[in-house]
Amino acid sequence: MNQPIVMSDMERRELLWKRIHRVLPFLSLGLLLALWVYVSQGENARFPSPGATWDRFLLIMRHPIKGLTIFGHVWASLQRVCIALICAWLFGIAFGILTGWYRKSDSLLTPLFTAFRSVPPLAWIPLITIWFGLGEFPKILLVFIGSIPAIVVNTHAGMRFVQKIYLDVGTMFNANARQKLFKIAIPSALDAIFAGIRTSTSAAWMVVLAAEMLGGKSGVGFLIIRGMDSLDMPLVLLSMIFIGLVGALLAIITQLTELLLCPWTRKQSN
Amino acid sequence: MTQPPSTARLSEAERVALVKRQKKRDKRTATALSVLGILGFLLLWQAIAASGLLSERFLASPLEIVGLFFVKLVDPSPDGAVLGVNILSSLTVALTGFGLAIVIGIPLGLLMGWYRAFDSFMRPVFEIIRPIPPVSWIPLTIVWLGIDLKAKAFIVFFAAFVPCLINAYTGIRQTNPVLINVAKTCGASNFTIFWKVGCPSAMTMVFAGIRVALGNSWATLVAAEMLAADSGLGYMIIMGRQFARADIVILGIAVIGVIGTLFVALLNVVENRVLGWKKQ
Amino acid sequence: MPMDAKTVKLSLRHICQSYVVGNAVRDAVVDVSLDVFDNEFLVILGPGQCGKSVLLNIVGGLERPIDGGVFLDACRIEGSDPRIAMVFQKLALMPWKTVLDNVAFGPQIAGTDKAVWRAEAQKYIDLVGLQGFEKSYPFELSGGMKQRVGIARAYTGNPEILLMDEPFGQLDAQTRYAMEDEIQRIWQQEKRTVLFVTNNIEEAVYLGDRIVLLSNGPAHIKEIYEIGLPRPRHMTDPDFLAIRKKIADNMDLAI
Repeated sequence: MNQPIVMSDMERRELLWKRIHRVLPFLSLGLLLALWVYVSQGENARFPSPGATWDRFLLIMRHPIKGLTIFGHVWASLQRVCIALICAWLFGIAFGILTGWYRKSDSLLTPLFTAFRSVPPLAWIPLITIWFGLGEFPKILLVFIGSIPAIVVNTHAGMRFVQKIYLDVGTMFNANARQKLFKIAIPSALDAIFAGIRTSTSAAWMVVLAAEMLGGKSGVGFLIIRGMDSLDMPLVLLSMIFIGLVGALLAIITQLTELLLCPWTRKQSN
Repeated sequence: MTQPPSTARLSEAERVALVKRQKKRDKRTATALSVLGILGFLLLWQAIAASGLLSERFLASPLEIVGLFFVKLVDPSPDGAVLGVNILSSLTVALTGFGLAIVIGIPLGLLMGWYRAFDSFMRPVFEIIRPIPPVSWIPLTIVWLGIDLKAKAFIVFFAAFVPCLINAYTGIRQTNPVLINVAKTCGASNFTIFWKVGCPSAMTMVFAGIRVALGNSWATLVAAEMLAADSGLGYMIIMGRQFARADIVILGIAVIGVIGTLFVALLNVVENRVLGWKKQ
Repeated sequence: MPMDAKTVKLSLRHICQSYVVGNAVRDAVVDVSLDVFDNEFLVILGPGQCGKSVLLNIVGGLERPIDGGVFLDACRIEGSDPRIAMVFQKLALMPWKTVLDNVAFGPQIAGTDKAVWRAEAQKYIDLVGLQGFEKSYPFELSGGMKQRVGIARAYTGNPEILLMDEPFGQLDAQTRYAMEDEIQRIWQQEKRTVLFVTNNIEEAVYLGDRIVLLSNGPAHIKEIYEIGLPRPRHMTDPDFLAIRKKIADNMDLAI
């Protein structure tokens, strides 16, 4: 049974490539790390070294800034994002269904919404701060504004382009208008709605940073600005690392939720 | 059993008219409603502003904004530059960063999508950079590069780079394998296939990426200018805020929105030119 | 196999349908009048995109004809009627529903009790031979199995008329033959009046009691054939081939 393995040149070369492919990611990560160490060397380097960033992490855990450790600040930002996102999802999905499903409200409201959407969310900051000051509400409002376009646009598209054949099935079985909406159109738009939820989540995470950078006493955006003002570059980098981590985590969580709630999209998306 | 078509009860002309009339009516209703929506909003806004419920510090009426637009064309107060200069300054930054992102991001994405070795080399680095929002690069870049064109263009670049790369990557990954096999049987080399088959078929996705990138770069630019700048539309609205001039802020927002819309329209024209074959 | 009592079940009278395409008006169906008998397997045969699906959609109430009317048991029907069900061409199974929920869609919409629709759906799932797949999602099924779900769905709710719009058009040849036998078995077990649309002559002769041949678009009736062959039919039978040739010679080519 134990046959000697004979490999052609081709196979041998393929095996070699496979090994190289396995090594390459580590090589590039190593190079990145080396680059990081290299640029952070020297007396007045403008980039904090890995060691300095780690020390800063330990420091903030021992001496919180404004009473919060880094996790506290992340949590503060996340709370804002959560409140704003829940409002945005409720409102956005309802609005998307309204404009995507009913032609008349589409004609009436969509041009207005498009005009609203063409303004980048951060450009509202000055106006919102004129109106509402610098408290908690304007920040949440801003995140709301930032996350609403993605969810509305996706829901609208999903509802607008429900495959006609599904509706035909409904007509065939004498479904009334309400049943067509709730039993056919909305379920069939679910994957589009989830795409909107995913995009709006990452948009919200970006906007909350900007909102916090422009004034606040907590949150990761505040930390970054604090680091910049006090020329505490390790703190800036540390915050960026955490922002990246949380952003990636949020993306994974939304994706998993989608798989859990809509098992049929698994196959379709492939 | 064959029945000639002429026994229909409605004449040809009647049927044509019937169908056409219905279609025309639907279209007219839609247009009327759209106009009604926008007009209604403007009227409501004007009414609120005119009623004096809110002080001038908080809200300016649409008519005042239009007036201010013409004043601001020649008057540099309160932020120190006329509107034209601000627009030009913003456009320069945005387009520099955007252009760089296209020139670097798209080829990189295409190469990563086609050559496995390159992919496994670049992928981890990209995955580390990707989840960091471009806005959070602002403080670091300010320290590195100051607040001039270079710094802001760098931030804009980051915002536009990611969608360019991702879409080029997915686009070329989705190349129809049949087309690749056709090229292979014709004896094309791997690079020829990449250049002649992979790249063209990735174009649709690439354009979708460019579209997102353009929106991102414009949005990020505004943020960058609000945090660190001495001119530009973002700077103008943040100054309007500091001088409590709601009218300047609203004008700035409107101009930013209009330019964003123009970008999208322009991109549509280009896309129709380049991807004409996509239309059926 | 002559019909003993040829009661007219369904009548189409002067059906016309046109669409606006850009600036022109395109006719899809021009003045089609037709009687369908009770428990008859009627095949509507036509080339390519000749408008046969449009005709079926009109009978099913999915489209309003621009002129003409549909009569069921001598009463005019408007819109979709619960006595008519359809098997769709493009496997219109809802991807978010399991097989059981897809099949039970009609009774669920009608607001039947859960116990009732479960039993009803189960009966037809068994009829089409899909026991054991009740909890599967459509993406987990093969093409032939999906179409079985489509057939079972049309049967639940117990319609008097089944419309089938090229149900096997997207299956590979082997599965197609198997499904043609299946649909005959199912139809003989649960007799209904069937309107079956196809562009495949062999399929038409294999299945139909009568064949209505349509012209190339806009659709109007070219010829109606009585197929007197006994069932089960064989595709290599000389009589079968003769009829097949006669129809083929008369059929328009799709462009």
